[in-house]
Amino acid sequence: MKGRIFDIRRFSTHDGDGIRTTVFLKGCPLACAWCQNPEGISIKKRPLHFENRCIHCGTCVAKCKNGGVEQKEGSIQLHIEKEEDWERLIDWCPAGALEMDSRECDVEEIMQEIRKDLVFYRHGGGITLSGGEPLFQWEFALEILKQCKKEGIHTAIETSLYTDGEVLKKVLPYLDHIFADFKIADEKKHQKYIGVSNKRIKENLKLLLGSEKKEHVVIRTPMIPGITAVKENIQDISAYISSIYPEVSYEILNYNPLAEAKYHLIDREYCFEENPKLYTKEQMGEFESWARLGGTKNVIIE
Amino acid sequence: MLFQTDRIGYLKDKMLSEPRYASIEQALIITECYKQNEHQPRIIQRALSLKAALEQIQISVEAEELIVGNRTAGVRYGVVFPESGSTWVDKEFETLPTRPQDRFHVHPEDIETFRKVIKPYWEGKSLEDVLNERYGKEINEIGKVVKINQKDHAQGHICPNCKKWLAMGPAGLQKEAKEKLKTCREDKKDFYRSVDLVMEGARNFMVRYHDLIVEMASHEADEEKKAMMLKVAENCRNLSIRPAQTFHEAVQSTWFLFVILQMESNASSFSPGRLDQHLISFYEKDLAEGKLTRQDALEIIECMWLKFNEIVYMRNSHGAKYFAGFPIGFNIAIGGQDEQGNDYSNDLSFLFLEAQKHLGLPQPNLSVRLHEGTGEALLKEAVRTVAKGSGMPQFFNDKAVIPSMMELGIEEKDALDYAIVGCVELTTQGNNLGWSDSAMFNLNKALEVTMTGGKCLLTGEQIAPDFGNMEDYQTFEELEAAFQKQIDYFMDKMILACEEVEKVHIDLLPSPFLSASIDNCMEEGMDVTAGGAKYNLSGIQMIQVANLADSLAAIKQLVYDEKRVSQKEFLDALTANFEGYEILRAMMLNKVPKFGNDVDWVDALGAKWAEYFKERLRTFQNYRKGPYHTGMYTVSAHVPMGENVGATPDGRYAGEPLADGGMSPVYGRDITGPTAVLKSVSKLDKNLTTNGGLLNMKFLPEFFKNEAGIQKFANFLRSFVDLEIPHIQFNVVRKEDLIAAKENPEQYRGLTVRVAGYTAYFTELADELQNEIIARTSYGDI
Repeated sequence: MKGRIFDIRRFSTHDGDGIRTTVFLKGCPLACAWCQNPEGISIKKRPLHFENRCIHCGTCVAKCKNGGVEQKEGSIQLHIEKEEDWERLIDWCPAGALEMDSRECDVEEIMQEIRKDLVFYRHGGGITLSGGEPLFQWEFALEILKQCKKEGIHTAIETSLYTDGEVLKKVLPYLDHIFADFKIADEKKHQKYIGVSNKRIKENLKLLLGSEKKEHVVIRTPMIPGITAVKENIQDISAYISSIYPEVSYEILNYNPLAEAKYHLIDREYCFEENPKLYTKEQMGEFESWARLGGTKNVIIE
Repeated sequence: MLFQTDRIGYLKDKMLSEPRYASIEQALIITECYKQNEHQPRIIQRALSLKAALEQIQISVEAEELIVGNRTAGVRYGVVFPESGSTWVDKEFETLPTRPQDRFHVHPEDIETFRKVIKPYWEGKSLEDVLNERYGKEINEIGKVVKINQKDHAQGHICPNCKKWLAMGPAGLQKEAKEKLKTCREDKKDFYRSVDLVMEGARNFMVRYHDLIVEMASHEADEEKKAMMLKVAENCRNLSIRPAQTFHEAVQSTWFLFVILQMESNASSFSPGRLDQHLISFYEKDLAEGKLTRQDALEIIECMWLKFNEIVYMRNSHGAKYFAGFPIGFNIAIGGQDEQGNDYSNDLSFLFLEAQKHLGLPQPNLSVRLHEGTGEALLKEAVRTVAKGSGMPQFFNDKAVIPSMMELGIEEKDALDYAIVGCVELTTQGNNLGWSDSAMFNLNKALEVTMTGGKCLLTGEQIAPDFGNMEDYQTFEELEAAFQKQIDYFMDKMILACEEVEKVHIDLLPSPFLSASIDNCMEEGMDVTAGGAKYNLSGIQMIQVANLADSLAAIKQLVYDEKRVSQKEFLDALTANFEGYEILRAMMLNKVPKFGNDVDWVDALGAKWAEYFKERLRTFQNYRKGPYHTGMYTVSAHVPMGENVGATPDGRYAGEPLADGGMSPVYGRDITGPTAVLKSVSKLDKNLTTNGGLLNMKFLPEFFKNEAGIQKFANFLRSFVDLEIPHIQFNVVRKEDLIAAKENPEQYRGLTVRVAGYTAYFTELADELQNEIIARTSYGDI
């Protein structure tokens, strides 16, 4: 079976215990306005141009056939709708500034990359599936997880839970640790900022926190200024999850200012005109107190 | 809760604020002594002049010191040592205060005295001059590819037998020498006589400290302070007549040993080795008898740590570039295994780390020996010490070092007891003349002359035989065959030069004091320079395999496999230092995978040639009948070694530094993360680095911020052990490094930063974010 991934990153130190390799699966059914991996939303592959690597030698402009690449005021612009032999242009680029955003591969290819760091997982660590929404390509994800368990590798996932309950039931037995997002408690706002209703997510939260894996689950909310980082939202999420499982772990993630740079790469507008700053320790402490008000005891902030 | 006492704070500030001077005091004493003893054999001359220095050199003591003794009255003085070489001093005396690296103040009258009294006597007689006369021309001819060391100073990088010294002291060793004299063969008499003389000198040296402190104490009004001074004085007197009995005496005794070794040889790196083992019985006994608390012991240790920083090594300006920061390499190895393979760490191991945390000074060079059974507590404490930012401790791997030493022919019990001398050079303890810095072989220059038909890319000079050039080689294999010939050619010449250097050392610099503390020498009546030690090794450094692997990969892929560029154009680009060949350079940098990213075929190219070099080198025997072996470390030599190499196929410009460390990837070329670096390095067989390897890695302070980070690092080091990599050290990245990364992104592409829970490559961040990270990166943050 083949799947589409947009990155495999070794030495991930924050997607679970120990030293991990994170596999980023492409494609996501959500459309969070602040998405931190916007290149992972679409399932389609496309070429990207990295301005900071470019030496502006003009090779790609000279070699393209139908105007797919253009040099405007010194910088390169891609017109990906034009018909070009993009793989060939990428091969021509001496600087590695042109790249496909993703690649298709089979489970074995991914396992080969994962196995490179076996010697590190031995002392705590393993793999994490991320995305995109890793369960968007759930059959592929399942195959990877099964193979990892067969080889004794610790597995984790970072999921939005926006998937079929049956899918969740299928993958759960092969997961040692689950990071599940619950971003917005209010259904209408969820629809507005994320593009879909949160009904499915709430149902899956029940399923997950009622399962035998519940002790290995961390529910997460990323702090987005004015959207998720609001008292009511944090309190409601906390109340909902702790009502299902009082011992639930709830992590409040600081805002990620790194995402903005990726939007230029795929010619999209970011949700904030001016990139907000990281929240301070004090502000994070306040979020934590809101979460506690909602009823969750195990609140994690970094 | 342990703390740093006021005494230590005061002594540290005092030491660091004192100006460093060049000193000719010992040179004058030695010169006078030689003049009066012209008829004596060299070993007696050496013994007499050391004895004279021990008895005459000015000494001084700080009233607060618990550990006393130095080779000059001032601290951190650069000692002029005419026996080994003074031509460079003559040339550079005036520029010592202004040279770019390792400056020393100068008393103008010293320059005059030096030129009138010292220089004329030693002209043509010093090690440097004699070697130059005998073999200077040949050494220079290979100089661009092979740098021969120990040409103007005595051989250091030795771990004396501290245990024997502690058990016998100078009085015991003198007695042993006298006994031997009664029964030994006629030709051994000079050796034992010389040991008798230097031990007499050592004892007198200790008594002089006793007398000075007693005199100072007589003016001291504070009774408590006075009592402590008298105790220190008493220690010195006791040590002059008997071995150490208390922990305080044992530390003082150890320090005297190293001061006197330096006075005899003025050489880089005499190292105490496994000091937590040497001292533990004294510590435990005093603790049990209630004579000492942990806090007392820590204060004594910190006093010694300060002393380790008071002796620096003055090199010539060229040498200072290769070994910047006058490192003198008092290396201390803690932890590791005992003879049964059990964990050998003890309470002193922890106190040593504590002392390093408190002081954060460059000496001693603290090393932790890791193995599978290393306790979690010691491992984590070591990581916490690293997080403090001094880059120490560094880590060595028993699982790599012990079997590779045995493969070289070292007995198991000695291999299990290994220690480190200088920076990363491996040694057995107390029985080894390792001669670990015999020479540095620049593999990248050898590749350069392979491509050019023997011409230097920088000057156009013919510096090597013409075995063909790039345009002649129709296949990659043909190029490799020519490369092999160049290696063979320079290796043969290097061996001859090393032999000449050793001969001069035997003739001119026998070292009786050192010999008395090296096993076998006293038994055999044979000086250590002449091969008296149990082990006699010679270490050659391979410079630098990372650049070599990257260069060979670029040639193979771009020229021969993919044929993206012609042989001629490739060579033209290097000759032009890439001017007009920017696209080709970009291809070299970006289209070819690099060492350090866990790409098997690239890593294998480096390993293949390192392996070839090692195997061929092992077929030679050194002048002391011991084996040659290889190391992969440079200290700071990657900078001057790089200045000497033209543009390289890995995309490096002419004159730029080579990879740092020795096993580390080229700056900024490791873009797959730290685990990939370790994997790549682990493909270099452990037997390639029996003389020592150096892997440098950079991390931002954030990685060590909390206990979870400390734990991940501890796990990382456990895997380092499993991967059988001999060495690793961590540089915690400073603000200045980040500013440099912003300006030269190409060299820092692998640098990752954590922003809250997210990781990104620093050089790919937007300007403002880079600035923000720079602003919050400082040690105060940890």
